Amino acid sequence: MPALWVAAACTPASLSDLSRLLQVIGQFLSLSLFSLGGGNTLLAEYHHLAVDQYCWLSARQFADLYALAEAAPGPSSMIVGLLGLGAAWREGPGWALLSACAAELAILLPSTLVMVLACLSWKRLAQSPLRVAFERAMGPITLGILFAVGLKILRSADTDAAGVLVSCLVCVLMLRTRISPLWFMAVAGGLGAFGLINR
Amino acid sequence: MTDPSLPGSTSAGEGLAPRPGLVALFTGMLQVALSAFGGGLSAWSQRIVVEQRRWMTNEQFLTGLTVARLFPGPNQINMAVYIGAEFRGLPGALVAMAGMLLVPFSLLMALGFLYFQVHELPAVDRVLAGVVAAAAGMALSMGFKILDQYWKDPVALVLAGAVLLALSVFHARLVPVVLISGPLAMAWYWPRPARRAP
Repeated sequence: MPALWVAAACTPASLSDLSRLLQVIGQFLSLSLFSLGGGNTLLAEYHHLAVDQYCWLSARQFADLYALAEAAPGPSSMIVGLLGLGAAWREGPGWALLSACAAELAILLPSTLVMVLACLSWKRLAQSPLRVAFERAMGPITLGILFAVGLKILRSADTDAAGVLVSCLVCVLMLRTRISPLWFMAVAGGLGAFGLINR
Repeated sequence: MTDPSLPGSTSAGEGLAPRPGLVALFTGMLQVALSAFGGGLSAWSQRIVVEQRRWMTNEQFLTGLTVARLFPGPNQINMAVYIGAEFRGLPGALVAMAGMLLVPFSLLMALGFLYFQVHELPAVDRVLAGVVAAAAGMALSMGFKILDQYWKDPVALVLAGAVLLALSVFHARLVPVVLISGPLAMAWYWPRPARRAP
């Protein structure tokens, strides 16, 4: 299924321009404080920045990098590092690595500072109505965001009917079994190698 | 679900090890990250921090999980920040985070370099088409995973539906959506019915 929106090509934004670089870092810094529910809630925003706004990656590459971050050990929110890598890949490996570290630091620093403040004042915070309301309110909002993120990733994966079927099957298996998701990726990768899943 | 289980005696419970320094925090989190290569990060960090190194009591650890889930940021990294901050403040938090991230991040960067080198090869692209289909299934499951706890709360479902609609159908950006829906939801869920949103 050829992606229709590839036709609407935009030129990749270069990061060697200092004001552009600062703008990008600023966007990651402010997104950091909105990473509710563990960070995966930001995936659609990353997609918007990397694919639609700055054209560093194609939708297909974004889906690839998401899969890579999920498959690799460690927190999957490290996808930000991969996006940074992709953003500056044209400028050479040194820049790419620097950009990856800058992106990861920018996305982690503000939430870390908030977290430290929260630890210091937790005893007072724990019983306050503000915390109770915040905790209850963020749950349903996170729920809505996660569904939107799931749809966004499914759309950028852009596979054929067989692929979508596999996606739905994996979704059910993730909910009903405790099988490691790496198995699903390995099996689906095999299906792809034999030409049973295409995009 | 998670109640604010406040530990009564945070200071020097019996059987606890002396407060770890920066180096110990770094190596401890490095150990957690390395042990968890097959998954189950929070179980490993509990095993290492509570049982093996005896830095904190189980209650303290569970409080940490509550805080880590509540505040913005990736849960597992927030947990490292909590552990570091508990003992050595901001420097401790940064050192613990670095220990947690060093090896997995380096590995991921290596994978990323490999990816950008080879992703245009047709054979690689075919395999990736399958892998991506599976990953999309994992992404879809995230919402369903927490859906169960909201079935008895119609307001929560309406709220989640409105957020989903705004993001997916009207292509609104996340930040304004959270800034608008957040205060509204907090007003609704405020524990004292007499009070309104801040």
